[in-house]
Amino acid sequence: MTPAIQIENLTKHYRKLKALDGVSIEVSEGDFFGFLGPNGAGKTTTISVMTGLANFDGGSVRIFGKHVVAEYRETRRMIGLVPQEFNFDPYLSVQQILEFEGGYFGMARRDARKRSEELLEVFDLASKRRDGYKKLSGGMKRRLLIARALMHRPKILILDEPTAGVDVELRHQLWGFLRQLNKEGTTIFLTTHYIEEAEKLCSRIGVIHQGAMVACEATTDLIRKMSGDQVELFLKSRLAVLPEALKGLSVTLEEEGGKLSFEERGELVPKVLKALHESHAEVERIDVRRPTLEDAFLKLTRRKLEMPL
Amino acid sequence: MMSSWTGFRTLIWREVFRFLSVISQTVFPPLVSSFLFILIFGLSLGTRIDEVQGMPYLHFLIPGMIMMHVIEGAYANTSSSLFISRWANNIEELLVTPLSYFEMVLAMLLGGLARSLVTAFGVWGVSLFFARVPVAHPAATLFFLIFVSLIFSAAGMIAALFSEEFEHLTLATTFFITPLVFLGGVFHSITMVPASLKVLTSWNPIFYMVDGMRYGMLGTSDVESATCVTVVLVIFTGLFLYTVYLFRTGYKLRK
Repeated sequence: MTPAIQIENLTKHYRKLKALDGVSIEVSEGDFFGFLGPNGAGKTTTISVMTGLANFDGGSVRIFGKHVVAEYRETRRMIGLVPQEFNFDPYLSVQQILEFEGGYFGMARRDARKRSEELLEVFDLASKRRDGYKKLSGGMKRRLLIARALMHRPKILILDEPTAGVDVELRHQLWGFLRQLNKEGTTIFLTTHYIEEAEKLCSRIGVIHQGAMVACEATTDLIRKMSGDQVELFLKSRLAVLPEALKGLSVTLEEEGGKLSFEERGELVPKVLKALHESHAEVERIDVRRPTLEDAFLKLTRRKLEMPL
Repeated sequence: MMSSWTGFRTLIWREVFRFLSVISQTVFPPLVSSFLFILIFGLSLGTRIDEVQGMPYLHFLIPGMIMMHVIEGAYANTSSSLFISRWANNIEELLVTPLSYFEMVLAMLLGGLARSLVTAFGVWGVSLFFARVPVAHPAATLFFLIFVSLIFSAAGMIAALFSEEFEHLTLATTFFITPLVFLGGVFHSITMVPASLKVLTSWNPIFYMVDGMRYGMLGTSDVESATCVTVVLVIFTGLFLYTVYLFRTGYKLRK
């Protein structure tokens, strides 16, 4: 089956800076794809290339088999973009923003009016239809961005950090809406800074770091592959030093000898328990934390958590 | 039902809607200024000037006045519309649509044309308070109105793409367009200026636009109307293709 999005070996420079370095991503139709990376990693640049907002130097980008440069009119018809920044037409009211968008995409006036009414209701913006966008709250503007992108019923919805600065309640509403949209068949390509958001919503994850892809697979596989269970053993009596048998393994002795910590990948627990038994140390409590996408993300991007000042 | 024609038409309407929504800044000022120009230059000073090209100075002045406002209106419309779209970033809203770059440019030019035509008919209406100037060649008049509007609409778009600040747009008007308009024969015939200025005027493209318009309305001109038509068509083709090229390559539009 033709992939919904097929990016192959994409490169782009901003003068001397290499913004994208051979990025390849494949997203199947119906996927909920999460695209993660630290600030400046190349997420927005990749989206901009897909949607026609940025040129690129090498590689190819296809949307349902159509090339985004040679067949840009066809590819743009299939995409709805929710940008990171508010970019509304300052001369139009909320409803006009939607209707003009429908018009640009070729919707007849009556259809655009009907669709805009539907979306104003869905996104709870009906009471603001005659206002300019500057009168809307931040959350309303975010909703309007999504409504605008959905005007022409795109096959692919691309969202560039749609929940940035949105309160918890609205975030959950948007999650519910995106899940529903995906269930109805829309392919979703989402970038976000909230790793929890990606873990909850996305069936597949791509991670970009310094312009290059460092992972691209099913969310559960990525978490399992990148991180084991985080195990903490609290001891009844303190150990002066790490038992000899555990040296060289990724086991650390913490809290003045009262706690052993390690990442379990299927082979360490028996070794640790055996070593403790031989050292006559008794275990008081065991804490096991399942790995999260955040653990995987931090490993992939080699970021260290810093203590707040 | 989705159609490309609808998208094109929507963008034209957006451009028209924009200038109508700020009509007090776009359409009314040229009407007021043309009223004052005709009053002062045509009626007051003009009575002291003998006939020009065989007709009263007031009649001679009106086609030039219309062309001056057509030029300024067309340039102001597209330059401010596109520059504000770049500045507010809502140009992205347009760039992600399936409109072709050709359609985007043409629709914006037609928006500029619409404003120019509204202004032209407005100024002509104002002139009727002072003189009833018959239109000798309606087709030629319409030709010059349309193509000169399109030329300066394209010039406005190019200026909007090259400008980084609002100030740059007004610099182009102050130091380039206004001098060329004033030296282009809006208020005088080329026969009334010294020989050295005649040579300079012959290199001023706006002279051919004003002269062509005068031919259309009054039936008289300083140079052959065919020369005016050729100059206008060549400049229009060049600027239009260059604007489409800038959009196609994404100059200051795409990252």
